[in-house]
Amino acid sequence: MDLSPFEADNSVSCRLASQIPDVCRTEDCCLGVDEAGRGPVLGPMVYGICFCPVSKKEELKALKVADSKTLTEAERETLFQKLEEAKSYIGWALQILSPNVISTSMLQRTKYNLNALSHDTAIGLIQFALDSGVEVKEVYVDTVGPAEKYQEKLSQHFPGVQVTVRPKADSLFPIVSAASICAKVARDHAVEGWKFTEDLGEIDKDYGSGYPNDPKTKAWLLKYLDPLFGFPQFVRFSWSTAQTQMDSKAVPVHWDDDEEDGERVAQRHKNRSMLSYFSAAAECEKSRQDHRFFSDRRLRSVNSL
Amino acid sequence: MATKKKRTPHTQNDSWVVVAAAESVTNTQRHESDPAFVRLKNPSTDGASLYLLGSGDLQLYEVKAFEEDFHSWFVGQTVQRDGRLLFVTPMDPLYLILPYMIKTGKEGKFQPVDQVVKDEEFPACSRLLSCTRSLACLHHISEEKEVGSQKFHRYSQERTMSWLKKKVEKTAAALKKRNVCVGEGVKSSTYVRVKPASEDQQEDFLRYAHGLISDYISEDMSKALLTHLGLPEVKSPNETEPPSKKRKLSDKPVEAGEDYTKFNSSDFTRKPPKKMSAAQKTLAKVDKTGMKPMSSFFSPKAKAEKK
Repeated sequence: MDLSPFEADNSVSCRLASQIPDVCRTEDCCLGVDEAGRGPVLGPMVYGICFCPVSKKEELKALKVADSKTLTEAERETLFQKLEEAKSYIGWALQILSPNVISTSMLQRTKYNLNALSHDTAIGLIQFALDSGVEVKEVYVDTVGPAEKYQEKLSQHFPGVQVTVRPKADSLFPIVSAASICAKVARDHAVEGWKFTEDLGEIDKDYGSGYPNDPKTKAWLLKYLDPLFGFPQFVRFSWSTAQTQMDSKAVPVHWDDDEEDGERVAQRHKNRSMLSYFSAAAECEKSRQDHRFFSDRRLRSVNSL
Repeated sequence: MATKKKRTPHTQNDSWVVVAAAESVTNTQRHESDPAFVRLKNPSTDGASLYLLGSGDLQLYEVKAFEEDFHSWFVGQTVQRDGRLLFVTPMDPLYLILPYMIKTGKEGKFQPVDQVVKDEEFPACSRLLSCTRSLACLHHISEEKEVGSQKFHRYSQERTMSWLKKKVEKTAAALKKRNVCVGEGVKSSTYVRVKPASEDQQEDFLRYAHGLISDYISEDMSKALLTHLGLPEVKSPNETEPPSKKRKLSDKPVEAGEDYTKFNSSDFTRKPPKKMSAAQKTLAKVDKTGMKPMSSFFSPKAKAEKK
């Protein structure tokens, strides 16, 4: 699998796709959606779709694709090769969401949670298949969040397509298994060949599984925690594991959408906090206020440097 | 989830981010003294404020800081946490000399200026007299008398007022040129007027300029200047006291001056009753005997019910 478009800039979201098989444009197709790397605190999350004509379902079954989690890495590679060899009737597309995209989405001012991000990525990929001329008639998705709501959302978005959202869809429908293999292979390659944009010298790659509960992963995070900048972009800052470490070990950074205690909010709104009425000596109010030319521009005289 | 982050108190910095004219911070003329930050008496607050004297004490600069929450600087390979931007801008030294002149002016005597501008608390104030614009401009705020080779000065309110008036007019012109939005209705400094400022805005500009100049003079002086400019004092509505609620002019019962309802009260009775909706009609027909009115549930229980 050639990941060079993603490796050119691994801070953004990147789409990779196979050739669209000609039969997929003429025959009714089924399409499977699955993701890899949802839970880890490290590396990208990859969404994959796989599609083939409904008439070829049996042939796909014969390839013995199965849920990627039950396979070893070597087995996944062989199966991906098999899918590539069957490119006359099987097509795939991937969306690689870099850890940086996940961090910035979840931590921006208007929070964009992981479920919404996942849903939108899946929708984007299905739309991509439709736009490429694939005659999508059936869609199978492994669930993210409540299955019924997700199915309703997708059905509304794609009228005329029969959508099936099912937990464990990756072991029930071969087309979803195929999608999960594509996604997982891409994720493995992306993590293995990760090019750190930060200047970290000889990087220690022994970070374990990448899942937050792995002690090896935690130790690795702590090792690469910069007191000011936090972690390399390889890390999802929005994961609580990462945040907890930053809260305890890094320099505190305050943003203006941080939740603040009442005392400070009051101070900013020039209100007097209730507590101030109980303190002994209320400091005398500044008798003259700066002219609004200065206060509007946040300018003040200083009395020391 | 996230623990509350503790703010550590700001410590003194050993570096600052400053916007300043090149000549204010370099000693190009090889003067005796290098540019230096000095603490002088702020004429508006009477407290200490920071100023900068250029090389050879030739030019006075005021130091203003842009400060807002949640700002920090990345300077080269370091981080400066205060996020403060200092502005060093030229300033007329007369503003700082004025309070000393007024103080000694109360004695009514003509005095040599080096005896006027003296302050134990701010010894650097005598350096103000070295500024190129100080001695030559003293006549704006004082009367002068020359005896032999020595000059004597006495504070003049009249001269000061006309000097300040010119300052206000110049400032108003500058504000107009820069399209600064003035006027009581303008609440935002980023507000942009579509139409150019009209003539009747002149007063707004003058008032705004007066406010701006008032940041450099004492409060009494500011009030006097307002009168001198012929601008009536405006009181903002929130400053005026709210009318007291219990305003009683006489003990007589309050009655409306003209009460028309008195005369046509009989018309009210003749009015047909309001039309009721079908639901209301059926409700009206319900047998209500033994039912409590809704309001009874909210009033304290009658003692009779307690047995």
